[in-house]
Amino acid sequence: MREFNETLLSVENISLSFGAVKALTNISFEIKKGEVLAIIGPNGAGKTSMLNVINGFYHPQEGVITFRGEKRRQMKPYDAARQGIARTFQNVALFKGMSTLDNIMTGRNLKMKSNILSAAFYLGPAKREEIEHRAVVEEIIDFLEIQAIRKTPVGRLPYGLQKRVELGRALAAEPDLLLLDEPMAGMNLEEKQDMSRFILDVNDQFGTTIALIEHDMGVVMDISDRVVVLDYGRKLADGTPDEVKNNQEVIEAYLGVGH
Amino acid sequence: MAFFLEVLTGGLLTGVLYSLVALGFVLIFKASGVFNFAQGAMVLFAALFFVGFIDLGVPVVLSAILTIAVMILLAYLIERLVLSHLVNQEAISLFMATIGISYFLDGFGQTIWGSDIRRLDIGLPQDAFVFGASVLGDDIFVNELDVVAAVVAGALVAVLAVFFSKTKIGRALRAVADDHQAAMSVGIPLRSIWMIVWAVAGIVGLVAGIMWGAKLGVQFSLSLVALKALPVLILGGFTSVPGAIVGGLMIGAGEKLAEVYLGPVIGGAIEDWFAYMLAMIFLLFRPQGLFGEKIIERI
Amino acid sequence: MSDVQAAIERYDTFPKILLRNAETMGEKTAYREKDLGIWQSWTWAETADNVRALACGLAAMGLKRGDKIGIVGSNRPRLYWVFAAAQSLGAVPVPAYQDAVAEEVAYVLNHADARMVVCEDQEQVDKVLSVMEELPALEAILYEDDRGMRHYDQEYLHYYDTVQEKGRAFDRDNPDFFLKEVAAGKGEDVAVMVYTSGTTGRPKGVMHSHRALIESARLAAEFEGLDPSDEVLSYLPMAWIGDHFFSYAQHLIIGYTVNCPESADTVTADLKDIGPTYYFAPPAVFESILTQIHIRMEDAGKFKRWLFDTFMKVADRVGVDILEGRPVPLKDRLLYALGEILVYGPLKNNLGMTRIRRIFTGGAAMGPDVFKFFRSIGINLKQLYGQTECCAYACMQANGDVYADTVGPAAPGCEVLIDSETGEVMIKSPGTFVGYYKNEKSTKETVNDEGWIHTGDAGIIADNGHLKIIDRAKDVGRLRDGSLFAPQYIENKLKFFSYIREAVAHGHDRDYVTAFINIDINAVGNWAERNGIGYSGYTDLATRKEVYDLIQEAIESVNRDLAADADLAGSQIRRFLILHKELDADDGELTRTRKVRRVVINERYGNLIEALYSGADHVAVEAQVTFEDGRSGTIKADLSIRDVKTFEPLRKAS
Repeated sequence: MREFNETLLSVENISLSFGAVKALTNISFEIKKGEVLAIIGPNGAGKTSMLNVINGFYHPQEGVITFRGEKRRQMKPYDAARQGIARTFQNVALFKGMSTLDNIMTGRNLKMKSNILSAAFYLGPAKREEIEHRAVVEEIIDFLEIQAIRKTPVGRLPYGLQKRVELGRALAAEPDLLLLDEPMAGMNLEEKQDMSRFILDVNDQFGTTIALIEHDMGVVMDISDRVVVLDYGRKLADGTPDEVKNNQEVIEAYLGVGH
Repeated sequence: MAFFLEVLTGGLLTGVLYSLVALGFVLIFKASGVFNFAQGAMVLFAALFFVGFIDLGVPVVLSAILTIAVMILLAYLIERLVLSHLVNQEAISLFMATIGISYFLDGFGQTIWGSDIRRLDIGLPQDAFVFGASVLGDDIFVNELDVVAAVVAGALVAVLAVFFSKTKIGRALRAVADDHQAAMSVGIPLRSIWMIVWAVAGIVGLVAGIMWGAKLGVQFSLSLVALKALPVLILGGFTSVPGAIVGGLMIGAGEKLAEVYLGPVIGGAIEDWFAYMLAMIFLLFRPQGLFGEKIIERI
Repeated sequence: MSDVQAAIERYDTFPKILLRNAETMGEKTAYREKDLGIWQSWTWAETADNVRALACGLAAMGLKRGDKIGIVGSNRPRLYWVFAAAQSLGAVPVPAYQDAVAEEVAYVLNHADARMVVCEDQEQVDKVLSVMEELPALEAILYEDDRGMRHYDQEYLHYYDTVQEKGRAFDRDNPDFFLKEVAAGKGEDVAVMVYTSGTTGRPKGVMHSHRALIESARLAAEFEGLDPSDEVLSYLPMAWIGDHFFSYAQHLIIGYTVNCPESADTVTADLKDIGPTYYFAPPAVFESILTQIHIRMEDAGKFKRWLFDTFMKVADRVGVDILEGRPVPLKDRLLYALGEILVYGPLKNNLGMTRIRRIFTGGAAMGPDVFKFFRSIGINLKQLYGQTECCAYACMQANGDVYADTVGPAAPGCEVLIDSETGEVMIKSPGTFVGYYKNEKSTKETVNDEGWIHTGDAGIIADNGHLKIIDRAKDVGRLRDGSLFAPQYIENKLKFFSYIREAVAHGHDRDYVTAFINIDINAVGNWAERNGIGYSGYTDLATRKEVYDLIQEAIESVNRDLAADADLAGSQIRRFLILHKELDADDGELTRTRKVRRVVINERYGNLIEALYSGADHVAVEAQVTFEDGRSGTIKADLSIRDVKTFEPLRKAS
């Protein structure tokens, strides 16, 4: 059992509503530095909303987010990215017309320093920088074993590979916190095993903290250090996979009361 | 034969200018999905400022720089005052907004600089010169200004191509064109990107404006050039830079040739409607345009 | 020291030749490998230096003359270096197929008594670790790529770079050691041990001497006029004698550059990058390229398809004549030149075959139409024939003397004869192997006292002096009426259709011929999509009535062909069924080189064969399959059996 002490991000009493619909109610939990945290729950439990709050797509009406000791009510996606939060999306949000390489290069966007003018004319420093970042991206391509599709427009790739490219793009930002929204949705068993391996390798080799949403309970139990369970926008449980598995409320939420 | 070649080159060179205007449309459409009705107005607006500065006695180069600054400022204001309030709205709302911008630019430009026709003389040659001594024994006359325009347009397109494919900003532009949300998640600032696109479209407009202005004088009808860009876009595809170029050339050459060779048979003024006819035929047989992305739904 | 020098200058072993290359063309590129998107290269001098460090490192770890060292991985320069490093010490490298399952690797390492094994990466290390208990002789595992390896703490695991570092230190302490060891090597020493893929029974370790490899590689290189400017892409398994011959033996002797692809999936792209001049591929590769081209053309726009069809007709008419320098009317020549610009050139460029000077195929029969296709677009595709036991070749086609249905006359230094009683092809070659490792009995059965190798193939010498292979000698059978039944011949005809991936014909001791068919999931899947037929997977697609219709058409056309040949008219296929699963090497149904294992199939699918010869029009099956991740499961299906039209023979058999 791995031990994690340092808190990387905490959400406190977050409530989010769209008009009269309450998406999240008074949710608090912490993400510890270096861990793999799974957020699970039935459909409509508010999992994706939670990720959207963390990376600034949604602005909660109440509550505070603390990231690396800095407190704030809300974040903008741009700021979240700049401070080291990268993410993937449930339905793969890649730049379909661009190649795998270019997609992952966009992930380097914030790491690139050259100013608009020199970048516009592709002058010396910008070109050098481009080559430097390309080397980092090649490492990621090698890591994810996607050399064969380097130049392929991602729109033409099968779904499983698109998910991998999207992970690559998120990794390119060298994030401290990686948010994965159903990284294994729609994959077959072999692809799921590959993806699990990549997630664990990322966590292991780069020390990246990972918060992921996943439906496949087998995968969740296998790869996560801690699990947060949401249901109807509320937090049901928070603990190790074993604790959560044996939690009565969780069992009821998943199986329905009376089973 | 020589006469045919002369008409063809003349047409192609006019086509270059159509291409330039269409290019402005394509840039904005690709990056933000907005069909910018105001592109024609931007051409006129830029030309008006340019000629205005020159008439005030500002040197040509400085005038160009000042006008570029004006176009960048304009892009900033459009983004700030109009687009940023319409994020995630229907495409039609954004289109309506650009119609508004178009009327504003037409009016505002003329309020400042007046509505007279202004001659634009920056030393660009106006003579026809003999090209390539002779072809099959006959001389071919080509308008020198057209050649300059073609060279400038070619250079501009080359610069843009490198900009889009090789640079960080170019990649960011393409990323934004593909998926707004994903672009934001990797830290691409949407609003700056939109501003850059509008500014680039403004600069492309300026180049088009200078060339047209030098040919026909700077006047209100310049903004109607935009109407010719529409068939060009239908031909070339709304999202394709090469499409805009080839489409422009085809329409330019096509309408000149039609005017000269078909004119005597079916009456004149073919030049005015030929482009639209061609566009219509394309809509029937290849609605995605020459270079547009073919959309195939797999079952 | 001069003794050492003199021994080295005999150049009778590969390490000695490597030292020569480092001397005579030290700055020339020996290896290239695409890594992190960039082609890295190593000169001959750098190669020799690396090999020396590795050899000394292995020696420091205890590798001695006569020891065996396994190599498990895909084509990497650093793995090729293991051959030379081991040979420098007089140890014998034993490459194993990198896609083999753990048990197969274990068998090879165990049978070879390997003391060490060099693995490419974590995946291969895991494979070996999983069978560690079955390998008492194995003392050390080296890994070439250290990714993911940092949590492994077994003391017998060593990183390749660390071994080299140790080697450099060892070399400093014992500066004479390396050259002395190299000098001690002799031409008759065993240079390498490759395991046959084993169409029947367990794999056998074929031992080759330096002398045999060097001599046959040299003769073939002279025959083909190879030179140091040649480029090859090595992508076929390192454990296969052909790759060892092209990417190691000839590479060292001639000094040309070996290029290693980035990964198995990128071969097509890497081929385009490199544009090799000398190339080998088994027929299956050409067949799949052609299938891909056809699929792409079917998806292409009307104009493109018209262009392709039109110019392929031109190529079909005159392409081969132009390639072989025969007179062709001016009009056709011009059309062909236009075709080169519009179709063949871009196509060849896309395949990475623009610079090809010669390209060989062999190991299995090739459909004449596939063969002609490549030659007609100006690719000098030729056939060769050989065996693991004779260093890859015994027959080879010379430029301008090329036929689709033969494998060429006996190559320089080789002899071929047909056993008059059994019809078996017998060969003699300077590359004849030393023997099977620890299997004297098989060695005796395979090579007779005069040095003739039994190939196990049935063949004839055609009128032009070329050898023509019909089938495996033991597979050629007779129908009950006594007429000839050559299953492979029929299967190859079937497999020419892009919709058919694999076929197995039955008929020995039967009244008529029947067949199992495996559809090509890509080609048929594509066809199904275009025709609006939905399907959930292979089994679903394979049992569709529409697909049966499609295959039936193909079989009838094969029957029409067979009817034209008096001797084979009786072999027309009467009934067939489409198998519910793809035949797979993982299930033992095919060899790793995709040859059908008839014994396994006859045993496993006995009930299906019986059904084909009963009157039944369908049969239920339930089968064990191994999935790609190693799990196994069962598939249930109900297969239809179809009757096919047969044709009257055009001529009566003599």
